Amino acid sequence: MSTGANAAASELRPYPAVFGVRHLSPGVAWHLRAFLNARQPRVVLIEGPADMTPLIGDLVHSKCQPPVAALAYTAEPPVDTLLYPFATYSPEYQALLWASENGAEARFIDLPSSTFLALQGARRRRILAERERRDERVHEDSGEDDDDDGGEDDVVVEAHNEQAPNPFLDEAWTHRSVYRSLAEGAGEHDYESYWEGRFERLGVAERFHEALNELGTTLRELVPDAGLRNAENLVREAYMRREIEASLEAGVAPHEIVVVAGAFHVPAQAPTFAPMSDAEFEALPTAPAKLTLMPYSYARLSSQSGYGAGNHAPAYFEAKWQSFRSGTQSEFPALYLSRVARLQRKAGTFRSTAEVIEGSRLAQSLASLHGRDAPVLGELHDAAQTLLGQGSPRPIAEALAQVDIGTSIGALPPGASQTSIQDDFKRELRRLRLEKYCDGKRHEIDLDLRENRRVKSEEAAFLDLHRSTFFQRLAVLKIPFATAHRVDQDSATWAEHWSLEWTPESEIALVEAVLLGETVEVATSFALREQLSAASTATQAARVARVAGTCVLPATLEQARLRIANLAAGSTAFDDLAHACQEVAISVRYGDVRQLDMTPFRPLIEQLFRESTLHLFGSAGCDAATAATYLVAMEELDRVSGEYEELVDHALWVRELRALSASDTRNPLLSGFACALLLQRGDIDEDSLARELSRRLSSGIDAELGAGWFEGVSKRNRYALLSRLSLWRQLEAYIGSLDDEEFKRALVFLRRAFEGFSSVERRQIAENLGELWGLNEDAAADMLEAPLDEEEEAALDELGDFDFGDL
Amino acid sequence: MTKKKKNAPANVLRQSAEERFADELSALIEHESHPVPDGWRMSPRSVRTYITGGEAGGMTITPKYIGHPRLVEIAIATLITDRALLLIGEPGTAKSWLSEHLTAAINGDSTKVVQGTAGTTEEQIRYTWNYAMLIARGPSEEALVKSPVFRAMETGSIARFEEITRCAAEVQDAMISLLSEKRVSVPELGVEVPAERGFSVIATANTRDRGVNDMSSALKRRFNIVVLPAPADLETEVSIVNKRVRDLASTLKLPATPPGVAEIEKVVTVFRELRRGQTLDGKAKVKTPSGVLSTAEAISLLASSMALAGNFGSGEVEDEDIAAALLGAVVKEEGKDRIVWHDYLDNVMKKRGAAWRPLYKACKERLG
Repeated sequence: MSTGANAAASELRPYPAVFGVRHLSPGVAWHLRAFLNARQPRVVLIEGPADMTPLIGDLVHSKCQPPVAALAYTAEPPVDTLLYPFATYSPEYQALLWASENGAEARFIDLPSSTFLALQGARRRRILAERERRDERVHEDSGEDDDDDGGEDDVVVEAHNEQAPNPFLDEAWTHRSVYRSLAEGAGEHDYESYWEGRFERLGVAERFHEALNELGTTLRELVPDAGLRNAENLVREAYMRREIEASLEAGVAPHEIVVVAGAFHVPAQAPTFAPMSDAEFEALPTAPAKLTLMPYSYARLSSQSGYGAGNHAPAYFEAKWQSFRSGTQSEFPALYLSRVARLQRKAGTFRSTAEVIEGSRLAQSLASLHGRDAPVLGELHDAAQTLLGQGSPRPIAEALAQVDIGTSIGALPPGASQTSIQDDFKRELRRLRLEKYCDGKRHEIDLDLRENRRVKSEEAAFLDLHRSTFFQRLAVLKIPFATAHRVDQDSATWAEHWSLEWTPESEIALVEAVLLGETVEVATSFALREQLSAASTATQAARVARVAGTCVLPATLEQARLRIANLAAGSTAFDDLAHACQEVAISVRYGDVRQLDMTPFRPLIEQLFRESTLHLFGSAGCDAATAATYLVAMEELDRVSGEYEELVDHALWVRELRALSASDTRNPLLSGFACALLLQRGDIDEDSLARELSRRLSSGIDAELGAGWFEGVSKRNRYALLSRLSLWRQLEAYIGSLDDEEFKRALVFLRRAFEGFSSVERRQIAENLGELWGLNEDAAADMLEAPLDEEEEAALDELGDFDFGDL
Repeated sequence: MTKKKKNAPANVLRQSAEERFADELSALIEHESHPVPDGWRMSPRSVRTYITGGEAGGMTITPKYIGHPRLVEIAIATLITDRALLLIGEPGTAKSWLSEHLTAAINGDSTKVVQGTAGTTEEQIRYTWNYAMLIARGPSEEALVKSPVFRAMETGSIARFEEITRCAAEVQDAMISLLSEKRVSVPELGVEVPAERGFSVIATANTRDRGVNDMSSALKRRFNIVVLPAPADLETEVSIVNKRVRDLASTLKLPATPPGVAEIEKVVTVFRELRRGQTLDGKAKVKTPSGVLSTAEAISLLASSMALAGNFGSGEVEDEDIAAALLGAVVKEEGKDRIVWHDYLDNVMKKRGAAWRPLYKACKERLG
């Protein structure tokens, strides 16, 4: 980027002072205030979307408590967003405060957010198009060399690096290699230490101002001069000059203006460069955008990358800011370490004051190794680990997270700009008489979803039902105001238990939900529709349908139904279809309680049931791992067939189970389980069971087939098995007929089969065996329940290594 | 202890750090540009350069400790604040190595060492007597035999205490008073010797030895503790081993060319996998042998295979030499370790493809 600014040119005509900043930096904030105090400007122009200026009143309000953020978003989907977080120690925020305290005018002068959002949308579309083109090209001619020009490639590479494009995220701050070389040249471990050591400290405002502007110039020279992001920077800078000119034209003298902009942009704010013309401004794209303020949290701030100096440890930098304000910065390292020690003590690890003192001495001498007079965060961490963690990071990790990041959450003045979804939320609270629960305390609330017949109005009769619906929608939007407690589903379909607690986190999540829709209901159905279109299996779609049901969103429910039917038609996976069937069955069962008409779903149950049943036999020829998941699916289908007997093709289910049960070619576990299900329903008589058992357990058949089958059978109706003595006689005869090697194999399966039996059931087995062997049943029971001795233990261990690959 | 040999260092079996790197040390001292603390020979920054590498007045300073510059800084900063330094780590994490080089750079003397053992007595860290002289002339300055810690106090320099956790608890306790009072009293002579500025102690302790004699928390509080981590990844460990093997080869004058990086990588891979009980890609479990397979062990293994190759072989380290050395390193306990090694060869090394084939064959042959 060729600024080409020569020193002489800037003397052409007087121009306002430009103070370069790094966002979220207490050092810059302190010097900026000192600079403003010295200059006493009448107008302060700040980098930030120009249309954000009307929000300044709320930002500097005495009840506004940072961290807060301004959120800009497009009114129509696909939603693009921009977030501008402010902490107390943001230079921009302090500039706003200074202006309001000193009666100066403050204005934001960067491109309006509507333009930013439009550019962002264009960038997204370009990346998508590029990706598609690439995919096509790969399909067409994979062999040909990539002869595209390098510039376009840059775009894609950048796109991968920047998850959330943000104007605060100056591209300069993300050019890692430039920063690393800068830091290494100064003998620092990383750029953060370099920055903190040089700029997060007190000095003379004018000198600081010059040093920082110099850094900006250096960076601008180092950063490569290419890419569309750079072009965007140039446009932004031209716009900022346009805004500066506007103030000059309004008759404010240059020396009465101070411009606050990212250090990177400082070299471009000079009278040598032309401001953006009206025609150019007209040509800029815009997208309809909305702006709102929201409370923000340090936890969120620290998880964002690239905003600037103080974002990775907001609480630390706020403490540093406080120490600047109170003039106690020399005590700061000791204060920091004693905070860590205090938190450790609270958690039960004792650390003495002597260790805190030694820690600050160590931090100090670490700093002196780098020629600094005060330690930076990395050195305080090292000192804390050495002294307070006794060499290990683990004992201090939690305390450090507290001291570095903290749990601060911001607050906005009452009546500050509200999004439509916040208004809707308030309306709903009033309608559902929930306002009293928003006092910041935790409340438990029991809901009875049935009609309350003692009240007159319908609204009142279904109050709890509506409340539940509302809470369920909040859950979909991940708004932590209401949390459901798991209630045993069998106990009552109409009882629910919720905890309510209003936290600032809920407010943040609520504001963010506005990106999905203008009201809670619209946002919820949008979120669910997104989930539906992302669903790739019938089961996933059926789960969304179930949620749509609990949220009482009939239109979404209908879409879900179509989606399930669609996905099911293309699916051949037995377990997917069976799970979907079960999910739909649950939705239908609970539909009544929510006053939903679920009749359209009933044919879907039938369809899913039939299709999955037809896939059962074919799918059952699987390995042991898959068989375990199929077992669950079979159980679910069986439950559905019992519950909706009048609806589903029951005869088909029994027929398929019989086929599976009798088959020798399917997975023996599943065959056995099919037999167990038949036995449970009484669809197989005693004789057939005995015949099947003796056939399966005859000595000619592979041990794992016989024993695996038995494992399947014993999964169900144990009582029926235990009460049939003849069955045990057959089993005994079978085991007796096995040779040693076969016995070892069978043992693995049999052991697994009996593992799930309770001690009472084992006792009954003992009785059976006692009778068979003519033993005293107590003696048999003792033998069965005695713990294994070492020899047996070892023998079993060997079985664990048993190599089935030889079979 | 009182004898001072002044012999030509070239013939010594193992030269001390200050002898081996005398050129580098004097270059650093000559080109000193930062303030030098009391009792030190060079500034803390020069000490850092000496340990982590750099250059001084046109001379390249070889890096002595690779991988963790922050830990080196903590160690140096600790010694500036006249706190005692405790280096903890698994076997083979270069604790003693680092302590030797720190003292060599700071004092030009890395030989004030107390070697901690179960038999170390309190006298060995305070003072004892030349009994013949004691009986003949009674207690006197001449009859006093000072411990390395005593001498370090007198001269304002740094004493090293190796393997401090091997000492009995009461011996460790004696260190507490020395470190907190910073003076030794000799009641027999009625004198108290205060420590000069610059006195400090660098102790080392082995994490595997913990439980033999745990350090009391009172003693721990007297130290700044730095945990030296085992090399984090294969590349780091290979580069450490490679560097140290080359150093050893030149000091021991081994009559063989040092093994190539590919060979070193194989040995380090085997060591890392057996140490962690799983293959590098985490896909297969392997059994772990009874012995400790540290980085230092890998270094000495390669050195011994060089000795084998030089004296009895072709002068090039071949797979046979490595196989023999590997067998010796892994199989420390006949029965169990032999099975571990056998399983490892067949389940892991055999499936590694052509590059590993010759080594696999040689190992199999050796194992018999």
